Amino acid sequence: MMDKLRLGVFELTDCGGCALNILFLYEKLFDLLEFYEITEFHMATSLSEENHYDVALVTGTVSTQRDLNLLKEARNHSEYLIALGTCATHGSVQGSVELPIREKLKAVYGDDGNPMRALDSKPVVEYVAVDFALPGCPYDKNEVYQVLMDIAKGIEPVRKDYPVCVECKLNEYECVLVKKGLPCLGPITYGGCNAACIRSGLGCIGCRGPLPGEVNPASEYEILKDLGYDDEYIIRKFKTFARWEP
Amino acid sequence: MIIELREFTRVEGNGKAEIVIENGEVKDVRLKIIEGPRFFELLTLGRHYYDVPDLEARICAICYLSHSVASVLGIERAFGVEVPEEIALIRELGLIGELLESHALHLYLLVAPDVFGYPDAIRMATKHGELVKEGLALKAFGNRIRVMVGGREIHGINVKPGGFGRYPTVEELERVEKESEALLRLARRAVRLFAQLDPYGAQARHFVATDGYLWGEKLVSDEEGAFHYTERIEERSLVYSFAKQSRYKGETFFVGALPRLLLKSEMLTPAAKRLFEEHREKLETGYVSYNNLAQAIELVYSLERANEIAKTLLDRGIEGENIPVEPREGEGIGYVEAPRGVLIHHYRIDASGKITYSNIITPTALNHAMMEASLLEEARKLYGEAEEQAMIGRLEETVRAFDPCISCSVHLVKL
Ligand code: SF4
Ligand code: SF4
Repeated sequence: MMDKLRLGVFELTDCGGCALNILFLYEKLFDLLEFYEITEFHMATSLSEENHYDVALVTGTVSTQRDLNLLKEARNHSEYLIALGTCATHGSVQGSVELPIREKLKAVYGDDGNPMRALDSKPVVEYVAVDFALPGCPYDKNEVYQVLMDIAKGIEPVRKDYPVCVECKLNEYECVLVKKGLPCLGPITYGGCNAACIRSGLGCIGCRGPLPGEVNPASEYEILKDLGYDDEYIIRKFKTFARWEP
Repeated sequence: MIIELREFTRVEGNGKAEIVIENGEVKDVRLKIIEGPRFFELLTLGRHYYDVPDLEARICAICYLSHSVASVLGIERAFGVEVPEEIALIRELGLIGELLESHALHLYLLVAPDVFGYPDAIRMATKHGELVKEGLALKAFGNRIRVMVGGREIHGINVKPGGFGRYPTVEELERVEKESEALLRLARRAVRLFAQLDPYGAQARHFVATDGYLWGEKLVSDEEGAFHYTERIEERSLVYSFAKQSRYKGETFFVGALPRLLLKSEMLTPAAKRLFEEHREKLETGYVSYNNLAQAIELVYSLERANEIAKTLLDRGIEGENIPVEPREGEGIGYVEAPRGVLIHHYRIDASGKITYSNIITPTALNHAMMEASLLEEARKLYGEAEEQAMIGRLEETVRAFDPCISCSVHLVKL
């Protein structure tokens, strides 16, 4: 049998969800382990054989010097690096506080200021080149399974390129934007979650980040305005998971 | 001399510790939370209340639902909203799912490898596959409840002020009723396993918990009377950590499964209560490592209580009506027992429904001083006695017993 691929999971500053989600694969995790050997995954194992990784999964934002060092190490020692989750791909919620780092630290820790060296939270993709970006807060676990399986079989994984709305239609969920007037970002958000929140009858809050290309954020903006939401509310909503201008 | 422990493994988030040695003696221990700050309170300032619980969920993946529920309770109290029993029961069921998911993760995947001498559960599975599978079964059940109540396994947005986006169906509740009964046997086995371990770490002097089993109006402690956190708990910043440290009337204290059992054993379900009585003497010594045993007993509690709740809801039928929520100027605190202990969300909200003040204190921050005290005690015992590697291993276990959640602990704010 062929040698297993070496897999490293690197967790920068985040909520732990994107690392945890790998453990939530349950039996499928054992299927993955037919092809991969986990050589670094600090939430799950005390083993750590830093050297070379065929595939590195990096979750979280760069928010400290430690994060940056770890990211560079992962990049320098891996063949294929995946920015995993919206923190890593777009900065997610912790990147959305737009004050300078000094002021933020002062607000939290008082006049003693910066207890240790902190940086403004930025996504992984702003610091290093990545081979694949898989957004989602957290990403859909079946998606990461598919991506890792593809790589193991030598296939370049494909990125979804349709909005959440498509999955909503496929599931025949009632449109919460039109029918209930809820602020739903489904029309402009990367699909792949199977419209999880619309299943609960609630609007998409955009946790998979904005879908670039053909979608039309300006028209989404107009729709929300017509529904009576004010500018500040809409802009904040747009900017919660990714730093983008409507 | 300073002995630097490497970053903790098999805990959630990034942290490490330093042991300060002077004249051949352990002088001090510093628990360094090196996870970057995440500024959650700043993030919620000026936001419309309706969106806030979904953002707060992102503080922590392992216990996102505790954060959403604490947030919702804080908001509802600020507005003077009371929800009917049905909504309260479904929320409680969600918290139970989270307790099962989180305790099973901790006990089977993070702690059990220590017990059997493996670096992780995956490698442990070759010899103890049955046990790992049992853990995963409990965890998966907990997660199914989280999907049902919270909307997703991680970061669902179904829990809202005044109710839910979607209510559980009869079929889902019937399934909870059946599965909770079937899994009880596994949980009992976990209690037997974790009851065998010898104690380590410090003995806690004070315990704090909410006044209800999984949430409350106020906090209680081993001393007299219920209280608000502002009356007895103080926080301060440390130069070496992104997490602040809390003290209870100036002293270290403990929150978590063990404090819950000790302070609220009369609220336990029958089988859990019997197990508590059986191990009471041990638990009452207050050793932090018995937190693992306490968590195992809580697995039993959770399964019994999930069963009770499912039955009750099935008997009375689900109405699925949300309570109208009208913003008004106010202040509210939500107290929840996250799997790791007391979680506090405190808000002030203006008449238009925007957050003007927010303070969040997580269990790991509350336990930070107790963790340091525990490490100090254990390091003093072992330094010079045990091999350095063995000492470091035991110190890691000491931290792990708290089941710390480091991501959670790094965004405390005073404004
Ligand atoms: S993307 Fe979301 S789930 Fe993933 S680590 Fe960041 S905050 Fe957590
Ligand atoms: S519906 Fe939107 S907010 Fe919900 S999981 Fe999908 S992308 Fe995220």
